[in-house]
Amino acid sequence: MISSRSLIFAAATALSVASHAAVPPQHAQDMAKGLALFKSDVRAALTQHCLKCHGGEKVKGGLDLATREGLLKGGEEGPSIVLGQSKSSLLYKLITHQSKPAMPDKSPKLPEPLIAKIAQWIDLGAPYDKPLVETGTASAGRGVTEADRQFWSFQPLKKSTAPKVKDTKWPRNDIDRHILAKLEEKKIAPNNAADRRTLLRRVSLDLTGLPPTPAEVEAFVKDTAPDAFAKVVDRLLASPHYGERWGRHWLDLARFAESHGFEQDYDRPHAYHFRDFVIKALNADMPYDQFVKWQIAGDELAPKEPLALMATGFLGAGVFPTQLTEKEFESARYDELDDMAGTLGTAMLGLTIGCARCHDHKFDPIPVRDYYRLVSTFSTTIRSEIQLDIDPVAHKASLAKWEKEHAPFAEALAKFEREQIPARFAQWATNSPVSVKGQEALFVALKKAGSPEKLDEKSRAKLLDLFKTQDAEWKKRNDPAQKSLVAQPKPPKVQVTSEGVKPMKHHADDRGFPHFYKETHFLKRGDANQKQDVVTQSFLQVLMRGGKTETAWKSAPPEGAQTSHRRAGLANWISDTEHGAGHLLARVIVNRLWQHHFGRGLVGTPSDFGAQGERPTHPELLDFLASELIKNGWRLKSLHKLILTSATYEQDAKFDDTKAAKDPQNTLVWRHAPQRLEAEAIRDSILSVSGRLDRTMFGLGTLNEASTRRSVYFFIKRSKLVSAMQLFDAPEPLVGQAARPATVIAPQALLFMNSPQVRLAAKELAATLQKTSSALDAAVPAAYMAALSRAPAKDEMAKAVAFVQAQEAAYKTAGRADAAQLALADFCQALFGLNEFVYVE
Amino acid sequence: MSSEPNFPMDLSRRQLLQRCGMGVGAMGMYSLLQSEGLLAAPAPDPLAPRPSHFAAKAKSVIWIFVNGGQSQVDTWDYKPELAKRDGQALEGFDRFTGFFANAVGGLMKSPFEFAQHGQCGKWVSSIFPNLARHVDKMAFIHSLHTESNNHSPALFMMNCGLPRMGFPCVGSWATYGLGSVSRNLPAFVVMSDPRGRGLPKGHATNWGAGFLPSIFQGTHFRPQGDPIDNLKRPVEMTTAQQRAQLDLMADLNRLHQGRNPHENELSARIESFELAYRMQSAAPEALDLEKEPEQIRKLYGLDQKHCAHFAAQCLTARRLVERGTRFVQIYSGGMDNQLSWDGHNDIAGNHSGFAQESDQPVAALLEDLAQRGMLKDTLVIWAGEFGRLPVAQKSAKPGRDHNPHAMTAWMAGGGVKGGVSHGATDEVGHKAAVNKVHVNDFHATILHLLGLDHEKLTYRLNGRDFRLTDVAGKVVRPILA
Repeated sequence: MISSRSLIFAAATALSVASHAAVPPQHAQDMAKGLALFKSDVRAALTQHCLKCHGGEKVKGGLDLATREGLLKGGEEGPSIVLGQSKSSLLYKLITHQSKPAMPDKSPKLPEPLIAKIAQWIDLGAPYDKPLVETGTASAGRGVTEADRQFWSFQPLKKSTAPKVKDTKWPRNDIDRHILAKLEEKKIAPNNAADRRTLLRRVSLDLTGLPPTPAEVEAFVKDTAPDAFAKVVDRLLASPHYGERWGRHWLDLARFAESHGFEQDYDRPHAYHFRDFVIKALNADMPYDQFVKWQIAGDELAPKEPLALMATGFLGAGVFPTQLTEKEFESARYDELDDMAGTLGTAMLGLTIGCARCHDHKFDPIPVRDYYRLVSTFSTTIRSEIQLDIDPVAHKASLAKWEKEHAPFAEALAKFEREQIPARFAQWATNSPVSVKGQEALFVALKKAGSPEKLDEKSRAKLLDLFKTQDAEWKKRNDPAQKSLVAQPKPPKVQVTSEGVKPMKHHADDRGFPHFYKETHFLKRGDANQKQDVVTQSFLQVLMRGGKTETAWKSAPPEGAQTSHRRAGLANWISDTEHGAGHLLARVIVNRLWQHHFGRGLVGTPSDFGAQGERPTHPELLDFLASELIKNGWRLKSLHKLILTSATYEQDAKFDDTKAAKDPQNTLVWRHAPQRLEAEAIRDSILSVSGRLDRTMFGLGTLNEASTRRSVYFFIKRSKLVSAMQLFDAPEPLVGQAARPATVIAPQALLFMNSPQVRLAAKELAATLQKTSSALDAAVPAAYMAALSRAPAKDEMAKAVAFVQAQEAAYKTAGRADAAQLALADFCQALFGLNEFVYVE
Repeated sequence: MSSEPNFPMDLSRRQLLQRCGMGVGAMGMYSLLQSEGLLAAPAPDPLAPRPSHFAAKAKSVIWIFVNGGQSQVDTWDYKPELAKRDGQALEGFDRFTGFFANAVGGLMKSPFEFAQHGQCGKWVSSIFPNLARHVDKMAFIHSLHTESNNHSPALFMMNCGLPRMGFPCVGSWATYGLGSVSRNLPAFVVMSDPRGRGLPKGHATNWGAGFLPSIFQGTHFRPQGDPIDNLKRPVEMTTAQQRAQLDLMADLNRLHQGRNPHENELSARIESFELAYRMQSAAPEALDLEKEPEQIRKLYGLDQKHCAHFAAQCLTARRLVERGTRFVQIYSGGMDNQLSWDGHNDIAGNHSGFAQESDQPVAALLEDLAQRGMLKDTLVIWAGEFGRLPVAQKSAKPGRDHNPHAMTAWMAGGGVKGGVSHGATDEVGHKAAVNKVHVNDFHATILHLLGLDHEKLTYRLNGRDFRLTDVAGKVVRPILA
């Protein structure tokens, strides 16, 4: 059966065999007729009705009709046709509904004339002129045209002047003019400005993830200077907590974690340096293009900068199996390359590059060819741990300090060895010392020689060493010296992603796991078992403008370089605002800033700027912001300030039925929609308000939920994610996430009610309040001010006081000596649980 | 309200429309969106029950995860040919099929006796004397196969549909699609080995929500101590005092909401505290096995040292499902080789040991569910991450290495036919050969029984609609009742 089928197949592909005895004489004519039928009707029918499930990106039932080979091979149910015998062919039976499942699946039966044509085609030998679809080889696949480049996000930034508006009093800057123009079109008036305490609370939580202190509220409310708010913004942008807050947004996009995931989920104990890089870079207002470039190729672009090396942790932050079998080596590596390219694509360019791994991107002009050429950038890039002097000044200082501490031990030992050891040794050696196991020969030699001086130098030295380890006096001096030596400060280990470095240890090392392959291949359907041509590096064609090819950005590695400098080329391209991806890079980041300040981006799909994503609600504004960013040297802080000092940002949260009827989703920004705080900000706010917050920055994180450091310093172990973070929608760090959900579920309420951490914070706040204002009519307003940045209203005050009094009475009845404090703690805990505490207006 | 589609409120309604494709309830939601403004609509509870795509046969699922990979030829896939060819080399065998390429031995007969059971005459290994009595309730799939020969990728495949990290598991998809009937208990519960033998490889990723909102992840009951976080009120407080505290919060929240009457999330959040308050008493009640009559406790084997721990988990599963929990997964065995069904050495000792732990409790679960009339809408699944090889793994006491090409799983209740066997392996049980069932097909079948179309249950992330079954999956119809 198999042999006859392959024979006929051979006949169909090589005309010279047509005269073979097994082939019917009219074969050539039949095949020609069949081919004509295929071109006129059958190809279209198969493509339209079958290909979706059998040969496109899917091969249901193992049947691939894309090629004649696949048709003849058939699927799980056996060959789909019997050549020359349509009536006995499975395909025919299925499309005529004689057999089940009736095909095409879940669609009407094909028209009879078409079925007849397919049957005739089978009878004629079922020839194909070419496959129904091209697969991802080097030469095949879609191209990228100028028309593709016309899509809005691929176009260069458009310069525009701010639109004219009727109300010229409201706008404070061009942001406001853009926003107001659209509102005026819809006849919606912007909301009033929020009151000062609301505004301060909003901007403080926005920029630092911490509420303002009562003193800060008071100061701002009193400051009547016209630039009072601008000064607040400056103060908050200069706060080290800004980087901790905004760094966390980036870490979501970078799917940052500190363990490998998979089998054993081993820790990556030196991965935190990437987190520290992000915080430091944001706090230092590092230009965003540099921020991006260093994450891609810091080791190549600035090898002497510790921060640049720390930045490379980005690429290697994804999961990786910790146990591999030989069969998985290569596919695991391709998965890893995909993770690098995919994360980079969504985080930096807002493009779903990973969608082109198995086939040309369905919606965006990213051919499978571009995918593999881009992926090959990382062919030789691996995770590694290197010793790195990340803080030379501090290291030098601690080394000097250590040397000072170490010197007395070293000196004491040296002195003892100089002055006392010779005599002690001689005395010991001459008193027939007890032999040491394994060194018997030495002692025999000593006995023979009579005294150590008569031994040869080597034996004498060895004997001396043996003696020392037996000499309690020597040990008394040596042990502390050794202990001190071990404590010599060394530069820390840093996890980097680079080339030509020692890979991180892997379980499969002893099975010969190579960690990387020098070359990357095109893969058919993304399958590492179906390798095609070797790939050479390039970038996304749709973002290569002005007739440039990849050579415009690629640079040869300098002499002696241990890396390929392919990543440097990628970094050049991604940040190039002339001919590369720089304009998209800018658009994507300014949209993220907007998103976090307003709860929704100007582009509602912040990591998808492609055809499937949303279009910008304010394209001119987006381009204006992106242009401003580039103009200001890619400095994010000035852009924050521009946004935060706009009248748009200052609006209150008031809901309005009439306005909502015209713009229900507030896409035109007629109000400031309330947002729920993220997991980290909720926890950090509670710590801060209770006075328990430990503001120590940087360094190794912890898994201890009782820690009082900011939540960004939790150690992120993929198999042990901190439950208080997960509960409030912190993402699993597996793929980059642009926006977090804000769910409301009962286990969150349980945390506010019963968590030992929340309870402890409430007690601490109560204790502090009691010290300063023990009377309830002072304590309650103070608690309100600390937790909610405002004084209680009359009715709130009354309820609160009644509550505390009742709780106190109950505790007293139960015989608690600390009844007053517990009752006040119950009240403070209630404040943490309030909607007003977790929703920012 | 209950008939309305409810989705996580996080996702704005528009986001949801984008993300859920035309998934569950999307049409209903669409009309809702059109008729009312986003913010004027009632705030949805993300875990509230939602209608399925079509009538569901199973309301809930209890999955006994045979962790480490059970050997099909020593359990449910009887291969007399193996005994005949015991010791002979398996021709054409790729020694890299399993994990230890250098320890491949010849074909090895099962150390266990097989006998026929039930009306259907199913051949069952002697290690399951109790389960053997229930074969007429079970639909066996002998041709199940997977894509990895390595534990964690295979576990991820079996739980999340792809042999990689980052994807939501079946339980998360099910609760995402259907919500949970129980308002006072977690929707999706996972129980792991309570004997200190560790978590399955890949740990919590196996019950992770992947990119779905994290509320859909499995609630892992801590094997020791309090099973659920924050369930006990602060020690110094009485119930009445906590009630008073919640009343104060509700009062203050309502005053606040009076100033923001249109923010529906705020009222949903007020409700969530009431729900939490009820959970405090409902969850301990559900977990209190002392409430069960003595004969039920005995039926499960709570009085038997060798299986009491697993009996407690199976009985807990029934109590949870009875109270509306949607999905329960119980892992049999812990992490490393001999601490789970991963019988690399001494397959006889390993498998008989773990069978002894699970046989009576799982049999009791089937019997108990049946006698309560719950089996008809509770799907019980018995499946691990891969099968084992028919050839020996050389060792003083021989074992069997990993086999991705064939494994046996069974389902019972919840809309599957009893006493049927679907698909077959080759004559020695090495590879699925007839009516092959891929893990994607297996998942499509589970979702189908829950009334969900695996092609329509989607979630959009970074520009792509993701499914549990990736781009494949075919419901195994012959086992459907």
